[in-house]
Amino acid sequence: MRVVKAFTVCLQRCFFSIAIFMCLLTAFSVFANDASNTAWQKIQNQGKNQSVYFYAWGGDAQINAYIQWAAQQVKAKYNINLVHVKLSDTSEAVSRVLAEKSANNHTQGSVDLIWINGANFAAMSKHGLLLKDWADKLPNFIYTNPENNPSVLFDFGLPTQGMEAPWGQASLTFYYDTLATSAPPQTLNELLSWSKANPGRFSYPKPPDFLGMSFLKYALVVLHQHSDAMLQAKLNQPATDENTAQVLDSLWAFLNKLHPNLWRNGEYFMQSGVQMRRLIDDTELSIGFTFSAPEVPAAVKRYDLPKSIRSYAMQDGSLSNTHFVAIPYNASHAQSAQLVANFLLSPAAQAHKQKPAIWGDKTVLIQTSLTAEQQALFKAVKPHPSALPLNSIKRTLSEPHPSWVEAINTGWEARYGTSQ
Amino acid sequence: MSKVLHTADLFSRLVKITPYCLLALLTIPVLGGLIGVMLPAFGWAPVLNKTNMSLAGFNALWDTPGLSQMIGLSIRTGLISTLIAFALMIIMLAAFFNSVWLKRIEHLLSPILVIPHAAAAIAVSFLIAPSGLFTRLFSPWLTGWQLAPEGSLPYDTFGWSIIIGLVLKELPFLLLIALGILAQPELGKKLRKQHQIAVNLGYYPMVAFFKVVLPNLYPLLRLPIFAVLAYASASVEMPLILGPNTPPTLAVAIMHWFNDVDLTLRIKASAGALLQLAITVGLLLIWLLLEKVIAIVFSQSLINGRRHYAHQLVRTFTHVFTCVILAFIAAALIGLVLWSVAGYWRFPDTLPSSLVLLHFENAFTHIHTPLFNTFVIGLVSTGFATILVLLCLEAEQITAKPLSKWAQIIIYLPLLVPSIAFLFGIVWLQQLLNSQHAFFNVIFVHLLFVLPYVFLSIADSYRRLDPRFARVAASLGASPWKVFFQVKLPQLFAPILIAMALGLAISFGQYLSTLLAGGGRIATITTEAVTLANGASRRTSAVYAILQMGLPLLGFILAWGLPRYVFNNKQL
Repeated sequence: MRVVKAFTVCLQRCFFSIAIFMCLLTAFSVFANDASNTAWQKIQNQGKNQSVYFYAWGGDAQINAYIQWAAQQVKAKYNINLVHVKLSDTSEAVSRVLAEKSANNHTQGSVDLIWINGANFAAMSKHGLLLKDWADKLPNFIYTNPENNPSVLFDFGLPTQGMEAPWGQASLTFYYDTLATSAPPQTLNELLSWSKANPGRFSYPKPPDFLGMSFLKYALVVLHQHSDAMLQAKLNQPATDENTAQVLDSLWAFLNKLHPNLWRNGEYFMQSGVQMRRLIDDTELSIGFTFSAPEVPAAVKRYDLPKSIRSYAMQDGSLSNTHFVAIPYNASHAQSAQLVANFLLSPAAQAHKQKPAIWGDKTVLIQTSLTAEQQALFKAVKPHPSALPLNSIKRTLSEPHPSWVEAINTGWEARYGTSQ
Repeated sequence: MSKVLHTADLFSRLVKITPYCLLALLTIPVLGGLIGVMLPAFGWAPVLNKTNMSLAGFNALWDTPGLSQMIGLSIRTGLISTLIAFALMIIMLAAFFNSVWLKRIEHLLSPILVIPHAAAAIAVSFLIAPSGLFTRLFSPWLTGWQLAPEGSLPYDTFGWSIIIGLVLKELPFLLLIALGILAQPELGKKLRKQHQIAVNLGYYPMVAFFKVVLPNLYPLLRLPIFAVLAYASASVEMPLILGPNTPPTLAVAIMHWFNDVDLTLRIKASAGALLQLAITVGLLLIWLLLEKVIAIVFSQSLINGRRHYAHQLVRTFTHVFTCVILAFIAAALIGLVLWSVAGYWRFPDTLPSSLVLLHFENAFTHIHTPLFNTFVIGLVSTGFATILVLLCLEAEQITAKPLSKWAQIIIYLPLLVPSIAFLFGIVWLQQLLNSQHAFFNVIFVHLLFVLPYVFLSIADSYRRLDPRFARVAASLGASPWKVFFQVKLPQLFAPILIAMALGLAISFGQYLSTLLAGGGRIATITTEAVTLANGASRRTSAVYAILQMGLPLLGFILAWGLPRYVFNNKQL
């Protein structure tokens, strides 16, 4: 009997303490929620009515127009004056922030928001040039379902640590001129034999150009598809003096075979993806590739590419990555920049961006975390004949560790940088 | 009365210090910029946690693969393009000296002067590319090509494409400078008379030019030629669009290193900028040496009394070559216009399949801000430069002391020192001073490049003013300020407008300086055009190139038309 009573008392106490614990927990979570709400409220109050200098690559008319649209939206919503500073290379902004840091300009930086990923992000984070722990606190970040979606928390394998908010997703897409070639190569291996049969009709932008580097990474990842697991794992680890030769040798062997059949015999490489597009329009090249698939139908509509262009994805995989927006540590308008970043992540902005006629950039939001109303915004329309057919990407390849960019670049420069 | 005296005194005092202001304005930023590049080159870069002086940057530079090819390419293209442009300018002057054709050729070539380098490079590349206008003219009916053939131009490893582009831009510049010198009343009259005497003595006109005019003309051409040589050896736009990239020229490589993600490359870039400076100085010395050699070799033939050489041959060659150049420029301009309105235009079609205004419409929707910036920056920097130059020239007359030889060189300084070598240093200095006013920074840097041209353009007319007007006015009791403002300036109305048009054209065409000093925040027509040239369709680039040409042309048309209008009205 005493035992039973003691047990009951114990149980009661247990319940009691659990109840208290639960109460505390609820109170705390409400409080925490309140805290994050008020924190966001504060950002909203401080960020309104200011200017945000958004440093973003400006080489594509469609993307520039989308940023203009976003500027009108944040003007109406927060009275923020979003200024698009058009870069021809994102690294220009990186060097600018670095120069400001060197001049001890720690609070009055000229860059408020920057469009970034991969090696540029790695460089900025290495030098401590980015504001931390803000991106994961954006109210709209929840729609990316971060627990089950590592692609918004890792940039080329590096943890983002709340330093950048995801903006969109891109995959390497190929396109060809049907009047010049009827059977474009479907794999990396076929590309090699196709180049032999059609000498001078293919090439890639000279690294460190983003797109040229992407092609080399695609080749590297595909070449290691049948390597043993140990070697494959090295692609996701930092490049070191020891493993560089081991990992990259197959790439150099491949390029040695490919280069003699490239445009200009591989003695000159184009500067950028857009120059490649121009050369396809000039019929000097027959196959090209891009990281923003909707650019191809848009170019056809603008007469920049012939109507005979068709897009497709390689069978052996498409290199894919997420691109982000980040705030420098010394941004003059960091709060306003967060408001803009949160707007860019909103279902309305993401849906508008995904429309093929606007930009066609794939959203980073996960459909299941959206309401039915929000999901309806993303309804697809019939694509242009030159556009990438829906669901043609069968297999995505993830980016290797960003340190491989440097290793590939150095090796490439030493082997192919000097043609005479 | 005493008040008038006082203000006059103030004006004279103000005038007397302007030459020093002008010289300081030109030397301090350039030298400061050079120091700003020198410190990181020797390893002093606090941002990168490097404060030890070392030669690591230079060691990294020497280890760069293909460095010798880069240097070779820079020297080759700089020297050969300047030599060709100079030689063409001389034989054109010689063949058409005292002929109406010289004026006509000048009018045909002068629009080229205001075409920005990037736009000219795009136009040239369209002509000489394997899919360019030339091959289209002969395909497929003659060649059978249905797809563009393989070719080596542009981007050839020797650099001929760069040389073609540079010659087309430099030739009009040198020709206009030479004609400006010959337009000086005393010198021009003297040379023309001497030429006439030589012709009367039986010398063929071209021979007379080489033996009589050239030896007197050349010393006055030396500084402009140096500016051309310095520019050609270190410019970025032309080699970027027309040159090879395995490896590129040294200047292009330096720009890439400065902009690279790997920030430690900036040390190597700074070392490279110093190497570029050394190369440019070396080229100028080589040119001086060539001058000496030529002077010694030909000193005998000047007075050997021979009246004619292969006269007819050279004459025919000059005529043919002049026609070829003019045709080339015309074809490039036609190509540019066609591209700006082209619909689909597949190789080997000679003409676009349809003409559309879409590219212009698209451009005009985004053009307001860049257009506004271009105008404001151009007007402010040119206006300030003009005032400064006028005051400076007035000082020369008030003190009756002409500018020293050194001062002349200093005025040329921003044109002689490769901009890639000092602009990055200036940006570093601006950040050190924490100058946040991007607009001001850009105007300031533009001023550096506008000042020399405005000075060179006005100086001759100012010095040529008949001093008796000023003396009469002063003896009638006019204050120095009144003499300057009401007697001298109205007489100089036309030359001032021409100088301002030139200044505007220079400001409109600035790319690297606008980009760096403005931190990319200030978009002008030119920065947009170059960004688009590297990142957009040839059609959009053509639209911007046409706009870039149109703006300065508008300035020149105003400068030519306005004086006539104003003075005609006054006569009425």
